[in-house]
Amino acid sequence: MSKKVHVQTTINGEAVDFLCEPRNSLLEVLRDDLDHTGAKEGCNNGNCGACNVIMDGRLVNSCCVLGVEADGCEITTIEGIGSAANLHPLQQKFLEHAALQCGICTPGFIVSAKALLDENPNPTEDEVRYWLAGNLCRCTGYDKIVRAVLDARNGA
Amino acid sequence: MRNFSYVNATSIEQVPSLLGRSWDDAVVMAGGTDLVGEMKDYAAVPKRVVNLKSIEGLDYIRQDDAGLRIGALTTLTDVLENSAVSQELPVLHQAVSVIASPQIRNMATLAGNILQRPRCWYYRSEDFPCLKKGGARCYAVGGVNTYHAIFGSGPSYIVHPSDAAPALMALGATVHVHGPRGGDEVLMDDFFTMPEMNIRRENILRPNEIVTEISIPKPEANSKGMFLKVRERESIDFALVSLAAQMTVVNGTCERASLVLGGVAPIPWRAVEAEDYLRGRRITEARAESAAEAAVEDAAPMPHNGYKVEIAKNLVKQAVQALAS
Amino acid sequence: MSQNGHKVIGTRPIRHDGVDKVTGRAIYGADIQLTGLLHGTVKRSPHPHARIKNIDTSRAEAHPGVRAVVTAHDLPQIADKLADLGEAIVNLRDASNNVLAYGKVLYKGHAVAGVAAINLHVAQEAVELIDVEYEVLPHVTGVLEAMEDGAPILHEDMKTTSMGEETDKVSNIANHFQHKMGEPDDGFAEADVVIEREFTTQTVHQGYIETHNATALWNEEGQLTIWTSTQGAFSVRDQMAEILQMPVSKVKIVPLEIGGGFGGKISVYLDPVAALLSKKTGHPVKMTMTRDEVFEGTGPTPGSYLKVKMGATSDGRLTAATAYMAYEAGAYPGSPVGAGAGCIFTPYDIPNVQIDGYDVCVNKPKTNAYRAPGATNAAYATETVVDEISEKLGVDPLEFRVKNGAKEGTRRADGPVHPRIGCIETTEAALNSEHYRSSLAKSANGKVRGRGVASGYWFNFNGGRSAISVSINPDGTINMLEGSTDIGGSRASIAMQLAETIGLEATDIKPYVVDTDSIGYTDVTGGSRTTFGTGYAAHATGQALIREMKERASKLWDVPADAIDFEDGVFSYRDDAEKRGSFKEMASQAGDAGGPVVAQVSTNPDGSGGGAFATHVVDVEVDRETGKVDILRYTAVQDAGTAIHPSYVEGQMQGGVVQGIGWGLNEEYIYNDDGSMTNASFLDYRMPTTLDLPMIETIIVEVPNESHPYGVRGVGEVPIVPPPAALANAIYDATGVRLRDLPMSPPRVQKALAENGG
Repeated sequence: MSKKVHVQTTINGEAVDFLCEPRNSLLEVLRDDLDHTGAKEGCNNGNCGACNVIMDGRLVNSCCVLGVEADGCEITTIEGIGSAANLHPLQQKFLEHAALQCGICTPGFIVSAKALLDENPNPTEDEVRYWLAGNLCRCTGYDKIVRAVLDARNGA
Repeated sequence: MRNFSYVNATSIEQVPSLLGRSWDDAVVMAGGTDLVGEMKDYAAVPKRVVNLKSIEGLDYIRQDDAGLRIGALTTLTDVLENSAVSQELPVLHQAVSVIASPQIRNMATLAGNILQRPRCWYYRSEDFPCLKKGGARCYAVGGVNTYHAIFGSGPSYIVHPSDAAPALMALGATVHVHGPRGGDEVLMDDFFTMPEMNIRRENILRPNEIVTEISIPKPEANSKGMFLKVRERESIDFALVSLAAQMTVVNGTCERASLVLGGVAPIPWRAVEAEDYLRGRRITEARAESAAEAAVEDAAPMPHNGYKVEIAKNLVKQAVQALAS
Repeated sequence: MSQNGHKVIGTRPIRHDGVDKVTGRAIYGADIQLTGLLHGTVKRSPHPHARIKNIDTSRAEAHPGVRAVVTAHDLPQIADKLADLGEAIVNLRDASNNVLAYGKVLYKGHAVAGVAAINLHVAQEAVELIDVEYEVLPHVTGVLEAMEDGAPILHEDMKTTSMGEETDKVSNIANHFQHKMGEPDDGFAEADVVIEREFTTQTVHQGYIETHNATALWNEEGQLTIWTSTQGAFSVRDQMAEILQMPVSKVKIVPLEIGGGFGGKISVYLDPVAALLSKKTGHPVKMTMTRDEVFEGTGPTPGSYLKVKMGATSDGRLTAATAYMAYEAGAYPGSPVGAGAGCIFTPYDIPNVQIDGYDVCVNKPKTNAYRAPGATNAAYATETVVDEISEKLGVDPLEFRVKNGAKEGTRRADGPVHPRIGCIETTEAALNSEHYRSSLAKSANGKVRGRGVASGYWFNFNGGRSAISVSINPDGTINMLEGSTDIGGSRASIAMQLAETIGLEATDIKPYVVDTDSIGYTDVTGGSRTTFGTGYAAHATGQALIREMKERASKLWDVPADAIDFEDGVFSYRDDAEKRGSFKEMASQAGDAGGPVVAQVSTNPDGSGGGAFATHVVDVEVDRETGKVDILRYTAVQDAGTAIHPSYVEGQMQGGVVQGIGWGLNEEYIYNDDGSMTNASFLDYRMPTTLDLPMIETIIVEVPNESHPYGVRGVGEVPIVPPPAALANAIYDATGVRLRDLPMSPPRVQKALAENGG
């Protein structure tokens, strides 16, 4: 067993530190050690986006990031976006548009779409599709997801 | 993944001393989007990983009269969003825009992209101890070689997976390397190596050397570029065939052509015969066709990848005509 | 969307579990945490076909982080026994051997041992320490090769059953059946145009984003609890009871949220292994699959070979059709070739039909249900041939389908007669759609364009068993417990049917999907039965509640219950207009008049789930130089009977269409000569992304299903049936070249065009 490394991060605005082996991905740490199970493992190889988080302002696949790489970083997970009492406009639009069926890809899409709207509050359909092209959904065919994101533009 | 130790490098000068004589001793990590996947597939089993992101000041895009200099840790997203790149080097901008996905571009670096390992499914599978991993044979030979090389005669038939590399090579870029004996500059054309030269790797880097910068000379006046990528689906996918084309055309005559194909050979493949044919010639449809034929003259397709020859030919023709108009 | 006088049905309320899902709070199978949890993983065969000579687990067991190792020897031996899992009949001995190989491995990826350790990385290391000695055998992965004399035999004791009788022949053909109606030879003789074509399709996976998972706790009293993502908690319970040979009462399945199923999450894979590991260690054990394990170790849908022959007269009437259908079952018998045979010619009224179906074992994972299993392969063949015939006759392909469309009273080749169906209505809606009437340029940007259409059918199984348990809160809201796991919004549509019945809003119902100890037997969420079947139960529950409330009102008002009416959500006493109250008003008082109001209903409706028809229209653009096919526009038309929640009906249609597009253009299992899959990852198994698709237009036709109180037909499955054929027909229209092998990926299209000078 390798020696564990002490990592200090900020997650959803709160200081969090944890111990992990170098081989643990950020996704594993979030899910198994930090009770943040919103990010999901769909492929473990950067091909589906279900594990998305925002790290230092950039959308990333947390399965491809090592836990040790997150040292000193600010991380936003789905748990830090909206809440039952106070949904983010994206979350509200996803519900209104029925942009989820099984819902497993939904946290990843919400994180991706939030990263998009944070940078580009008024994207076109093509831009939305381009930005979401690293997130796979098998249930919806993407139609209602794209509509929900377009509807959430400009704070809706 | 096997266990390993993780070290944060503090300076470029320090790095070679943290690396070893063999790729199994230590490797560097920038964005990690290729390395982490390789380690999960047991294609890479380093004992130590040296993080480069802890080195300050390696992510930059600087423009001067000579051209552009891009630091090794500049992410693909930063390259994509840079206006000097999109204005001066459209071939590079277009290439980066079709790499992988937004998430991967946000972490992956330009240097890392040209250094990435092959996507051959035998190379990436634990079950196949192939030549590239120190084994006895190339499983693409006699195997399913739909996505393998149509140029080069082995012994390994991988294709180089990078989209940025053909673009950079078409632009005549230079790779800046740092090793135990200091810095060196290598033309991108000389940076990549064919399997017969080095079966285990795809470029000249030694285990204790790193890339620090990629510099690109300013394209000459009347030089235009474009990047074409053909793939099975429109995202996340590597190229079936890609083409980076940079041509100087004056009054319909091609003064200089730089055509580099991706996805067809173990290295980004300069279509030298096509370039030679076009030099000094007035571009017509027929000539574009001839250049395209020349580009694939030496193609040696494998049983499942003959389609790549057609596509490569068609891309050359398409690009030559587009850049001449 | 007309609501037909309904108040709730046809509206689009926010689904009840939506907030949890958009905020990442919903608990899916892999999210569960328990104290003392161990992590398990599986050792899998590297060979597609081999005898297991010996398994030595000693090195693994000696690893300090390992807590237990199990093999098939830890499972009880069970005899041949058939069970109905809800979307397929399964031999439980085969199911057990599939979970952990006994004696032989039959595909690369076949599980041979399970390991539980302190964490997943250690478990993966331990797997390398299990030594298995194999005697490698020749293997066969192609369906036609497997049918030949001299092919390597998977099951030495399996003799072909042909036409219902067991023969003497040991072969990989598990079953051959035949359906015949009329006299096809006479029908072909009558025809002016006869077309016969051959088709092949490849193995394709359901591709759900969530991988399989199971967490098991076998406690000291011998009570087994499994937390899992499944389409059928009761089916899992039955399978576990059989495979582990324990009483059903000792097994409790707790279904957590499920990240997609499409038919593939009904059979158990990890659950028995996790259970055995928990039994051995005394700890809860969590097991999840990696993506490559999902490809290599679960249940994809079959590759197949089809030969279809159809004949029509010059005035556009189909006279005869025959089909030869050979489907790969994978390692154990049980492909959906039978279901495919029930669908292959079903959109048409053809007097003379013969279908020969073959269920064939090959050294690939045991196939399982994937959304209208068997029907997509079949439609690829039929709809392409119909396209050729209509072209030869100079008839519009949709007009041709209308003219020959199945209707009430038409007999299917496999026997049943259609009740009221919406086949022709669906085709006509496609014919009249704005998409079909719009013009399409033949070429643009150096590429060619074309339009294609195709139809499809899926039975939708009858309701099956569903149970609902409700209790009414004093404020008139209702807790509704049900056993149908929610993979696509079914909580909402079931709640809506209950709400409609008793005059409440959908938001007044609080649906909960509960474990197998807490609700009556409920069949799987699959077969397109859920909105129909559990909705049927919801309706019956509503009726039961109305009866209960009438009893309470009778006590409160001191009047006879049979003089109380319930209409438009209001109870009233016939003889006194003053005595009235809404459901909610009555609920607030009902507790005083007899205690809490509860009802429990189990239903198992007769009558068909109401077969569903679909007709799709697609415009494509083909780059002749690269073979790339881009989708310009797609319209899916489908008969939903009654659309309970139109957004979710549209969603099912769009999702099925996109899976069909992936199946048609890119997805396939690619095999090496050594029987291993080259592309067991989401990188090389190419599913559509946002950039591969336009918006998917939907047109919902409503021809009510007469065996359901609200007219519901299942909607989830038929949308995956037409796309590959519609795409093939569009590619033909664009290029003049017909493709008859799936997938129609750029290398194959490019090759076909080059060979045909297209």
